[in-house]
Amino acid sequence: MSNSLEQSFVTQLKENQNIVHKICRLYTSGEDAHNDLFQEITIQLWKAFPKFRGDSKFSTWAYRVGLNTAITLYRKSTRTVATTDMEGKKQFIAPDDYNFEEEEQIKLLYKAVHQLNDIEKALVFMYLEDKDYEEIAETLGITEVNARVKMNRIKGKLKKIVNP
Amino acid sequence: MTEELDLLKKAWKKDAHAYEQVTENQIYKMIHKRSSSIVKWILMISIAELILWAAIGLFTVDDNYLKTLEMYHIDTLFGVLTVINYAIILFFIYVFYKNFRTISTTDTVKKLMSSIIKTRKTVQYYIWYNLAMFALIFIIVVISQITYDPSINSVLENAKDSNPQAFWIVIGLTYFVLFAVTFGLFWLFYRLIYGFLMRRLYKNYEELKKMDF
Repeated sequence: MSNSLEQSFVTQLKENQNIVHKICRLYTSGEDAHNDLFQEITIQLWKAFPKFRGDSKFSTWAYRVGLNTAITLYRKSTRTVATTDMEGKKQFIAPDDYNFEEEEQIKLLYKAVHQLNDIEKALVFMYLEDKDYEEIAETLGITEVNARVKMNRIKGKLKKIVNP
Repeated sequence: MTEELDLLKKAWKKDAHAYEQVTENQIYKMIHKRSSSIVKWILMISIAELILWAAIGLFTVDDNYLKTLEMYHIDTLFGVLTVINYAIILFFIYVFYKNFRTISTTDTVKKLMSSIIKTRKTVQYYIWYNLAMFALIFIIVVISQITYDPSINSVLENAKDSNPQAFWIVIGLTYFVLFAVTFGLFWLFYRLIYGFLMRRLYKNYEELKKMDF
């Protein structure tokens, strides 16, 4: 592989690394698992990079390869122990508008999302990333209508978990 | 009331700034490490299988074997079968390679899963084919053995005089048990290997299909 290709990849991934971190955040729990999945996604991105033409944004392309790796290629089970703590990966600085009640609910929500299956997590992930249903459907390979239906079901499911 | 997911979205965006960042150097190191994806595992196991079955045919051929074939009057038949067998094996390797090439992480989630399943199925059919071929050869050899082998014939003659029915039952049962055990072991072996590799993939694929009726 040429060095300029490597350089270009490394620079772009470094700038866009939060996409990968966020996928790891939903599909794993614990620092080791997070790093392990991060590495596998990086390898898969690099392997696919020579075919990346630049006619789509690096980030759009990385979403797809990253999700595919987390859902399908990653060998270790991504079944997560439902935890809410951030385990060293993140440091929390309480902002001025810190709202304890809201914070508790967010913890519950993260826990609930971790209980969803791999496909549902992908839908939630893209929703959280402000992707429209067209892109969600296109990434998963299902119709837009069915993506919407599924999303509504997931919302219902989460509501039930958080407000039993 | 705000919808739950939108509440989470707010937190999600805030959290995005809190991920420990990896450096360029760390990324360099990562891209030179080996992948441990299931595609890689399937590829390695499949190549081992393709080689194993092709090699079984090569290693069993020696002078003794050829003489035995002649004695059984199946040397021509086996010559033809061998040629056909290798043609079919080559065909399988070609189809496997072609399917393997279609696996791409830039496809949709569904398409990626179906390409992997298709590639895996090719190997599965290859194994079924080999087991069927194995059974066919087994049957041909048993029949010719009973018909032409002098030592077996003398045993048969002696046995027929005393208790023919019991003798055939014992022979039949022996062959059946031998066969069942071989097949059983293969089945178990594949259930374990591919069960471990493919279970999650099949589950997710079903989930997607169920969603997209």
